[in-house]
Amino acid sequence: MAGSVEGEQQQKQVLGLIEEQKLQTQESENNHNTTGTQLESGEGEREMTPTAASSMHRSGSRPQLDVSKAEIQGNEEEKYPTILLPNQSDDLSHLALDIGGSLIKLVYFSRHEDQSADDKRKRSMKERLGLSNGNRRSYPILGGRLHFVKFETRKINECLDFIHSKQLHWLESHYSDGVTDQNGIIKATGGGAYKYADLFKERLGVSLDKEDEMDCLVAGANFLLKAIRHEAFTHMEGHKEFVQIEPNDLFPYLLVNIGSGVSMIKVDGDGKFERVSGTNVGGGTYWGLGRLLTKCKSFDELLELSQKGDNRSMDMLVGDIYGGLDYSKIGLSASTIASSFGKTISEKKELEEYRPEDISLSLLRMISYNIGQIAYLNALRFRLKRIFFGGFFIRGHAYTMDTISFAVHFWSNGEAQAMFLRHEGFLGALGAFMSYEKHGLDDLMVHHLVERFPIGAPYTGGKIHGPPLGDLNEKASDRDWKFLTYAVISWMEKFLQKGTEITAPVPMTPLAGTTGLGGFEVPLSKGSTLRSDASALNVGVLHLVPTLEVFPLLADPKLYEPNTIDLSDNSELKYWLTILSEHLSDLVDKAVASEGGADDAKRRGDAFARAFSAHLARLMEEPSAYGKLGLANLLEMREECLREFQFVDAYRSIKQRENEASLAVLPDLLAELDSMDEESRLLTLIEGVLAANIFDWGSRACVDLYHKGTIIEIYRMSRNKMRRPWRVSELKHVGAENKKSPRHKRALLFVDNSGADIVLGMLPLARELLRRGTEVVLVANSLPALNDVTAMELPDIVAEAAKLIFNLDVGPLGNIVPGKFTMGSVKYEGCVKMSYIIKEYGQNTPYVRLGQCCLIEFTFKHCDILRRAAEVGGLLVDAMINTSNSSKENSSSIPLMVVENGCGSPCIDLRQVSSELAAAAKDADLLILEGMGRALHTNLNARFKCDSVKLAMVKNQRLAEKLVKGNLYDCICKYEPAS
Amino acid sequence: MDLRDGQTQPILDPNQPTHVYHLALDIGGSLAKIVYFTKDDDRLVDVEEGLSHRKALEKSNGSKQYPVLNGRLNFKKFETSKINDCLDFIKSMKLHIGGRQPQENPGSQPIVKATGGGAYKYADLFKERLGIILDKEDEMDCLVAGANFLLEVVHQEAFTYMGDQKQFVQIDKNDLYPYLLVNIGSGVGMIKVEGEGKFERVSGTSIGGGTFWGLGKLLTKCKSFDELLELSYRGNNRAVDMLVGDIYGGMDYAKIGLSSTAIASSFGKAISDNKEREDYKPEDIARSLLRMISNNIGQISYLNALRFGLKRIFFGGFFIRKHPFTMDTLSVAVNFWSKGEAQAMFLRHEGFLGAVGSFMSSDKHGLKELLANQVAQRSPRKLSFAVDKILHSLPDGEFNGDESIECSVYAA
Repeated sequence: MAGSVEGEQQQKQVLGLIEEQKLQTQESENNHNTTGTQLESGEGEREMTPTAASSMHRSGSRPQLDVSKAEIQGNEEEKYPTILLPNQSDDLSHLALDIGGSLIKLVYFSRHEDQSADDKRKRSMKERLGLSNGNRRSYPILGGRLHFVKFETRKINECLDFIHSKQLHWLESHYSDGVTDQNGIIKATGGGAYKYADLFKERLGVSLDKEDEMDCLVAGANFLLKAIRHEAFTHMEGHKEFVQIEPNDLFPYLLVNIGSGVSMIKVDGDGKFERVSGTNVGGGTYWGLGRLLTKCKSFDELLELSQKGDNRSMDMLVGDIYGGLDYSKIGLSASTIASSFGKTISEKKELEEYRPEDISLSLLRMISYNIGQIAYLNALRFRLKRIFFGGFFIRGHAYTMDTISFAVHFWSNGEAQAMFLRHEGFLGALGAFMSYEKHGLDDLMVHHLVERFPIGAPYTGGKIHGPPLGDLNEKASDRDWKFLTYAVISWMEKFLQKGTEITAPVPMTPLAGTTGLGGFEVPLSKGSTLRSDASALNVGVLHLVPTLEVFPLLADPKLYEPNTIDLSDNSELKYWLTILSEHLSDLVDKAVASEGGADDAKRRGDAFARAFSAHLARLMEEPSAYGKLGLANLLEMREECLREFQFVDAYRSIKQRENEASLAVLPDLLAELDSMDEESRLLTLIEGVLAANIFDWGSRACVDLYHKGTIIEIYRMSRNKMRRPWRVSELKHVGAENKKSPRHKRALLFVDNSGADIVLGMLPLARELLRRGTEVVLVANSLPALNDVTAMELPDIVAEAAKLIFNLDVGPLGNIVPGKFTMGSVKYEGCVKMSYIIKEYGQNTPYVRLGQCCLIEFTFKHCDILRRAAEVGGLLVDAMINTSNSSKENSSSIPLMVVENGCGSPCIDLRQVSSELAAAAKDADLLILEGMGRALHTNLNARFKCDSVKLAMVKNQRLAEKLVKGNLYDCICKYEPAS
Repeated sequence: MDLRDGQTQPILDPNQPTHVYHLALDIGGSLAKIVYFTKDDDRLVDVEEGLSHRKALEKSNGSKQYPVLNGRLNFKKFETSKINDCLDFIKSMKLHIGGRQPQENPGSQPIVKATGGGAYKYADLFKERLGIILDKEDEMDCLVAGANFLLEVVHQEAFTYMGDQKQFVQIDKNDLYPYLLVNIGSGVGMIKVEGEGKFERVSGTSIGGGTFWGLGKLLTKCKSFDELLELSYRGNNRAVDMLVGDIYGGMDYAKIGLSSTAIASSFGKAISDNKEREDYKPEDIARSLLRMISNNIGQISYLNALRFGLKRIFFGGFFIRKHPFTMDTLSVAVNFWSKGEAQAMFLRHEGFLGAVGSFMSSDKHGLKELLANQVAQRSPRKLSFAVDKILHSLPDGEFNGDESIECSVYAA
């Protein structure tokens, strides 16, 4: 294909450019900086290069760009495809350690720019919007991912193997003078940084650079509390509630770090802190005493035992002393512990006669209460309003948190609250990471961070039990990047093998083919089990995306809450989890089909289904396992999970088919609209948007509907049957606004689905706005989600809508006469005045052979507006070249543009949008949010600084009842003036 | 220093005729403490004398007080798990019928003041075995009343203990309040005392004597609290505790003022894979436990004293038992956390605060009735004690729980 030849040439071109800069860049053996999925899956599959050999190799070579294994990423027909340089290392720090008495915590960074095609269209868009052109150096923050891993200290070799297998220890600075042969230095904190320094030197050839423990703790906590929106939470009586803390209102606070011992630190600001107290009764005491008193072999085992314990058999309760009565005079209830382990005094029982479960629980309560009490007394002493508890003792263990919370609540008479951190245990390691001069986390803001929960993280990211990557010796065979897919499968196989045992808290029905999935089952008792890897899944991978911004048109970003539905309501959660679960088998079918249905795809489909079921089961058991959970997060998780299993675009073929079918009927629709007067046209347009919104693969009701007719039939039926008045019908304001006030300067249209929704709904509306002189920016997803149209796909759709290039089998040319032609089974008669051009293609065109079929490009009159606007907006790249002369007259026209929103979810969280969208929003004075995901599930209650219209058809009975007390297929049209 | 199992003999010379007038109990979770008053036989008849003496006193210097009784306050303790020993003792000493027969209701059962949780729990047992009714006094009231009495009345009741140095502290009665009273029984109660009957339980902890003894019993083969204490004296906590030095490879973490011998994590070293419980010396375990608990109590006490601006912290309760190492750890903890600004103080009659308080419970104690019997004409409004002499049960002069205080009762 011509395209591939072109592609190669371009590749060389680009490589040439890079070669000119090679003196600034360094060769490297390491290649863990690559795209996301490759990174996640390929890690650990690398050959373990002997240290000595590789350093020799390096010192003998001039610094140069390592272009080995370079490959073109993405569509090769793109003019400037992204080139992937997997072997490119950068002068950034990868790894930091916190080696504590019982656990080693590891934080490492992997470089990863979100790789979206930087095509000509996008660049022209950026120029238009005044954005600099994608130079990552212009961002103070490095794009990439922060990974969190932990190991038991006594199994330090596993940790060393892990680092070695990932080559995380090669992080020497690459100076421009080429001096690279210095030994690696790893920032480390915790007592073990001293103790194991020699071991690291010997095994990995790296020096540990010891950072002060307290400095690290505080730096880590400050970072997390400021950069992660819902890092802190309270935990009372099993109920977890996330607390959003304003970065400006954070200090001073008390940080209680519960490791082997307990440190209490008063933090007044960045780098401003003081250790004010502590206690030697901490996690080490629990584990130490627990080990002596029970036969437990691990901390986790001990903790798990406590879950089933009853401390009444060990502890002397107030009721035991007062014969079951409360000592209410001093506010002690009968169940208050008067003396921990006090009951064992009066009994003639040997240690063996007590249940280890009871011992563990009694110990846990004793230590947790004590820490809570001392912490509160210290907070009181220094008048600190917030107490954050971190450190490894807690481990996301609900009961531990409850007891600490109870103690703080009890001793403070309810005036103080204990708060916890989701990344507890990693504070020190994160702080050590931040002690590098170039850690890339400076100035990181809440909206730059996205947390993902890849199910493969415990495999690629290591976990506490067992070797993180299984048998590390099996790497030799699959080290080659060419076998990337194979590598993916190799960890996935492990996941499938261990999947049930590790990630599924509830038994799942056996897999029967791809579709026979049992989905998830509601666990019998909520949170009754503590799984040792719970915390491994609780901490996700932090994606640092410096290009994300807060949507500038939000009326008040602080008050903004994207989710309309509160999933902390258990019945609501259950409902949506069930919906997703029911939808799963259908989705797996689609996903597998989208990849050609080969065995590999089927296996991945299985894996995806298991993984996602495990996610759902996990959430059912512990709704806040992944942080504050909204419907948007849930829906996004599904898409992320698909991507994790290499399903890039499950609805690809469906989208294509629907787009084509819809484009075919667009001219008819436009002609119909143009025959109306302005008022009824506007009404019909809005109706059309709502009617076309019925095409939604995310909705079960609609999927069923699809089996009943063709797109246009459904569309017409939908439009005809549309009930008026709409549930929230304020359309007249839209019209009124448009007529009276000056026209809107620029409208942002947040589009939803492919097919009829975009083509027959939103494009005609866009056209109407353009006709009225309003600039239109179509805002679409950056990554595929369900059948939502993406920003990548939109230019083509617009182009086709505007140009209507059909590959027609029209037989002899004579069949086309002005005024009518036949295309397929659709007859176009008299509805268009054809001002078409027929191009004959020479024999060297690969597409058409003269005489059999031909490519006809013609422009319907009705598409002129779209065409011109698209040209002005830079969407019709080819047209711009071809018609550069003739389009001069249109230079003053109103542009139609496309921007990506920065999301890969059916919903949108406007606190984190692409810089492109943020820039486009600056001049916008009208927002139109369309579809359930963006206008109902999220943002229904959002207020904006400019006029906004929310349009959606409610394709879910429960949602209809809940939001508008209405029925399935009711429509919502909500106009709100600028607030 | 043990309880001398089954011991029931009175401390006083059994040959000396004594009349028991009064009994009060404090039945805690692990120990039952009794306090009873014996009137010196020869002084018994002097009541009338005393009355006349009082008149003389009043005439000479206007003092409203007059001695009405001379006798002894006797202290005795039993393990609560062996409550029957206590019952036997009371029965053998006839304490329950001593000196007091309700006049107004002949035939009704005698009433004995009692405090502590056991006053509820064993009420039926006392009724059944001894035919007495336990009149429950509030535990806290008794504790405070006992401490106030001892601190106000008994010379050299309070002392400090640091580095094996015992130093008695003379406290001006007028400068006593407010103070923090930390009563270490099975659990720990922390009471802010502002005066006679003016107090508030401000804090406490469940990690107390019961925890020490309970965990100690499970971890060692000790048969008694005292044995465990003995053990701890010979142990070395380094074997089980994770010290700062263990973490920092022998170095101090000087930046935050922690020396390498500071305990970073109690029992934090006991996590080794290849060592079982039997591989640790019981002495070391006992020592580590004791340090853990004392240290913790000291810390929480100091934080509470600080919170309420209390200058003195008195530690009492059976846990201390005059055990030097326990007192030393508590003192070190208070000293450490207060950076030397606060001092831990101890009471000679620790462990008997509740019982003494119960005994003292103001108008309700039986001495008034006793006196009313003796001096038929009038019932004194208030009684007060003056301690004349403390009779020690052991030659080394250490108060060991079984002793008596020679004292006079004054009426006003």
